[in-house]
Amino acid sequence: MLAGLYNATVLAFAKINPFVVFAAGGGDHGDGGHGGAPHLPNLINVLHELGILSDSAAAWATYWANPLYAGVAAIILSLIALNIYAKRDLKNPGPFQNAAEALIEGMYNFIYSIMGKEARRYIPFLGTLFFYILVMNWMGLVPGLHSPTTGKEITLSMAAIVFLYAQWTGIRRLGVLGYLDHLAGQPRDAVTWALVPLMFLLHLVGELVKPVSLGLRLFGNITGEDTLVAVFVGLGITLMALFGSPVGLPLHAPFILLGLLLSTIQALVFTLLSTIYILMMLPHEEHEH
Amino acid sequence: MDYQSMLAWAAPIAVSFAAIGSAFGIGRAVGSAMEAMGRQPEAAAKIQTAMIIGAAFIEALTIYLFIVFIMVNGKIGA
Repeated sequence: MLAGLYNATVLAFAKINPFVVFAAGGGDHGDGGHGGAPHLPNLINVLHELGILSDSAAAWATYWANPLYAGVAAIILSLIALNIYAKRDLKNPGPFQNAAEALIEGMYNFIYSIMGKEARRYIPFLGTLFFYILVMNWMGLVPGLHSPTTGKEITLSMAAIVFLYAQWTGIRRLGVLGYLDHLAGQPRDAVTWALVPLMFLLHLVGELVKPVSLGLRLFGNITGEDTLVAVFVGLGITLMALFGSPVGLPLHAPFILLGLLLSTIQALVFTLLSTIYILMMLPHEEHEH
Repeated sequence: MDYQSMLAWAAPIAVSFAAIGSAFGIGRAVGSAMEAMGRQPEAAAKIQTAMIIGAAFIEALTIYLFIVFIMVNGKIGA
């Protein structure tokens, strides 16, 4: 029990056993299309080492790690938002309410600068998307947590939701006929009518590729960041392990800062692209495709 | 040459080409952003935002090849 506690402390503060890092990354599931990229252990591994989680429970939790952590992020964000909303005071706002208002106003101004007057309707969806992805990305940089956006299932499902919502917005705002007209490149005269099959195919493929690129961009960036940090943690530990010390050099510190910046940028790019996809489906006058 | 050696050659070369291409692209984008900021310093914040977003798009192409690298890497090794 005490050995387990010692192990867990050693693991939990990123002073980890490099064999655990590389074994967890590249051991049995090296042929799962993963490539066995090294990754840091998280709370599930710590609890497993402590003996709190049995082997089968830890295996189950590792298999469902990404949805579990995504659920944790969603629950925490919802609790914070509900708390601030319940204690709101319009005349005398407290610090948390002020911070929340500043964030939401900043997000609204950003989306307003792209969408114009329609922003009011779509800001809940797009704002939630931004903060949810931001929190999920940042979770990967906290020692002991794991970023759910390193799983293709999370990012691709979010991209699929955005894609379906954009198409639904198009069908609802333009009508089914207007939506098909939009996909066919808006044929007005004989030339454009003749090009309809080509334009239809082009737009269809273009629309289908959007969720794939959206999801894979976020997945690839965050996985790359995670792998970078994990490689440098392993490097720092093996460096000091030459002198027999269980404590490693924090060589990964600048990459954590880089990860903070890149995570924010990726969340912003995802939200921005979703905004633009929804904007493209709304009726707008200049239609130069 | 068996297919494993070819995969081991192909995977890093893919990422290298992507890195070279996106280095050129991002260099151009950031260069013109800096030039624009020099011409009109009061628009610097907008130009910087647009530059960051543009760089993220160009970098995404390298990331796609990084994903390909990880997938090919997983297939090496019997």
